[in-house]
Amino acid sequence: MTSSAVSSDGRYRAPPIGLAATAVIPVFLIALPVLYLVLRAGQVGLAGVWTELARARTLGLLLNTVVLAASVTLCSTVIGVAVAWAVERTALPGRGAWRVMAGLPLAVPAFVSSYTWSSLSGAFEGMAGAIFILSLSSYPLVYLPVAAALRGIDSSLEDVSRSLGSGVRKTFIRVILPQLQPALGAGALLVLTHMLAEFGALSLLRVQTFTTAIFESYQLQFDNASAALLSVVLMALCLPAAYAEMRVRGSASLLRVGRGSARVVPLAGLGHWKLPVLASLLTLVAAALAVPAVTLVYWLVQGQSLGRGYADIWPAIQGSFELAVPGAFFTTLLALPLVLLATRYRGRLSSLVDRLPYVVHGLPGLVVALALVFLSLHVTPFLYQSAVVLFIAYGILFLPLAQSALRASVELAPARIEEVARSLGRGPLRAFVSITLPAIAPGIGAALALMTLELMRELTATLMLAPTGVVTLATEVWSHTNDAEYAAAAPFAALLVLVSAIPVYIFTRRTLTLYDAP
Amino acid sequence: MSQISRRALLRSAAILGSSALFGRWTLRAAHAAQTQTLTLYNGQHAQTTAALVRAFTEATGIHVDIRKGSSSQLANQIIEEGQRSPADLFYAEESPPLAALSEKGLLAVVDASTRSQIRPNYEAKDGTWIGASARCRVVAYNKAMVDEKDLPASVLDFAKPQWQDKVAFVPTSGAFQEQLVAIEKLKGRDVALAWLKGLKQYGRIYNGNMAAMRAVEKGEIATALVNNYYWYVVAKEVGEANMQSALLYMKNQDPGALITVSAAGILKSSKNQQAAQQFLAFMVGEAGQQAIAASVAEYPLRPGVASPYDLKPFDELEPPPVSPADLGDAAQALSLRREAGLA
Repeated sequence: MTSSAVSSDGRYRAPPIGLAATAVIPVFLIALPVLYLVLRAGQVGLAGVWTELARARTLGLLLNTVVLAASVTLCSTVIGVAVAWAVERTALPGRGAWRVMAGLPLAVPAFVSSYTWSSLSGAFEGMAGAIFILSLSSYPLVYLPVAAALRGIDSSLEDVSRSLGSGVRKTFIRVILPQLQPALGAGALLVLTHMLAEFGALSLLRVQTFTTAIFESYQLQFDNASAALLSVVLMALCLPAAYAEMRVRGSASLLRVGRGSARVVPLAGLGHWKLPVLASLLTLVAAALAVPAVTLVYWLVQGQSLGRGYADIWPAIQGSFELAVPGAFFTTLLALPLVLLATRYRGRLSSLVDRLPYVVHGLPGLVVALALVFLSLHVTPFLYQSAVVLFIAYGILFLPLAQSALRASVELAPARIEEVARSLGRGPLRAFVSITLPAIAPGIGAALALMTLELMRELTATLMLAPTGVVTLATEVWSHTNDAEYAAAAPFAALLVLVSAIPVYIFTRRTLTLYDAP
Repeated sequence: MSQISRRALLRSAAILGSSALFGRWTLRAAHAAQTQTLTLYNGQHAQTTAALVRAFTEATGIHVDIRKGSSSQLANQIIEEGQRSPADLFYAEESPPLAALSEKGLLAVVDASTRSQIRPNYEAKDGTWIGASARCRVVAYNKAMVDEKDLPASVLDFAKPQWQDKVAFVPTSGAFQEQLVAIEKLKGRDVALAWLKGLKQYGRIYNGNMAAMRAVEKGEIATALVNNYYWYVVAKEVGEANMQSALLYMKNQDPGALITVSAAGILKSSKNQQAAQQFLAFMVGEAGQQAIAASVAEYPLRPGVASPYDLKPFDELEPPPVSPADLGDAAQALSLRREAGLA
């Protein structure tokens, strides 16, 4: 039983007008790129749509896209769950350190790790290499929520299962896994939509998907209708995934409610598995962290284009923070009403509204950016290339990340106390600010950290929409690698990774301690 | 207690933070309005444009804001912006993005006095854009893997079975489109298509010219179809004396010796026409051309300005009779690539 607002007769209550109204804003913003795409794709005409979609190449792209997205999601899920299990439930030596280390690969942007791996050997290029490298950089998105959920689930069910004679494995599959499903499903959906939109890494690794094809057609063509059409297909691909995740989470969540009732779960001894488990963890962290780090250091020491653009380092750090931090606040603010609606006023409409952002999350940043170029110039020309439009683009692109970071925290914050405060005469806003907001502060912290991290590495929308002349660490890495000055790019890439470690650390701590008693 | 102080802290941090952050963005706008400022959309190498702009601002006192991006993406952005584009100038790595803007009527005519400064035939036929620097298509080869005398005399011969897995090409690069369209113009569509199909069958696709150049340098593949300056970029990283690769310049007006240009133009919608014209005049002037030539291994287009790089002399190149303007926006390349199954 969760604390969703179910009235005594068991029917769902309608959300208050104020909350519903604030949720309309993100929904409206998400509708913008969809509107633009339909407008542009419409220029192809129905006959054109058919010839474009029936081409052999479209089918090839479809196959590549699905294979890549499904494989990376599967691998990330397996790695994420295994690591979460190892650090939370086994007597692993150095658990505390592993717990944080396993989250750190989030700090390495996929395009940096792809570059480093492909510079080691051409064997890492192609589909298999892409699945390997992208799984390494994506698994923390599954590991972190699952590890947090493992700490939070009701361990008495496990005790019952074990006492009835079920082994560790059976208990895991029958009892624990079902309880992890919501966290697992949300993490997996995030990875999946990430993969649909991935561009930088794939272009380095020479894998063609819908997204790389969309970029390519903007690269070589000055007529965007067919690119818009591919984008519509990409959105359509997100639909079944979002729906499946909705079903998974819709089946009643078994998550224990409230902190406090947790007790220390006995850790499973590893026995003769200790060494293999330690070795796998070490390999994982080495592959995900050490390889990119060593390559960056190599370029820092070696290359002769080093030293170019040092003058841009401070402006780039400044630009990164000045765009990412307010962008993170804005996106988190947009996400909050969606999550509140979906957790407290469960119903078809609120679940639907909660999933809409995932559909757009699978779109390449380029498409969203072009949509905002067009719309902001026609509707609000005075805002064009001001930071405001960029923050809106960030919001559209990254809402699901903020939602996922907020969700568990909001589920834990009991709605009833807020209702008591209201019955005692506080207004809705004051009751929310004084009761619920402090209770969900850890989730807000996690969301801000995760958003800051993602926004600092965002490139396409930043290039197109940032105020002219503003540079960020990510745009400088791009600019130098674009001109093939890898050594010159190295300090920016290294700084990007180092600076990212701060939000990653905050995010990891916030997420993992979510269910711990305060 | 700790809850309350944390809340207070959060609140003040949020207020302080947001006012500080958003404040800067408003200040920026106010500052920009005070001085005369040109907005340049730049797809050319960042260092090259930065050097040129620095020299221009020193000489004229006119400030230039640079917006970075890839040439084609910026062109697409300008098309999307239409008449409301904030750009005054567009400087692209290749000429087709400018030709595309010109076809859509978005470019103003460049002053004739500016156009006459550069070598003839490196500008738009209607005068809406000019070349800023030139480069030559070449074949980069690994000296240990293939002997220079075994290299064919025409780039068309690389699309043959004997070059199976020995030639790298970059079907998505702008320069490759230009070369493809040049072959179509010189030899006809069938030859161009056959060449493309041959490359697809026997060659190896790379995602970027630099990646292809590096693959040759590392000995991953014997040859690559690239532009001459990529070799000099790698040479700058590893040192010219350590280079494992060399460049083959095609002779006899072969399409493999095509000359292409980086190019610039003025947006018709610009409200700073005079200053923008001044910028292009500076770009093709002595100082501007020197600034460009010093920062990238391309040929300055103004006669008499020499590149500090050890380039094969411009007059010794034997390019085919296809000018950048003949290539237009290179749109035919896409239909060729589609027919060959490469797009």
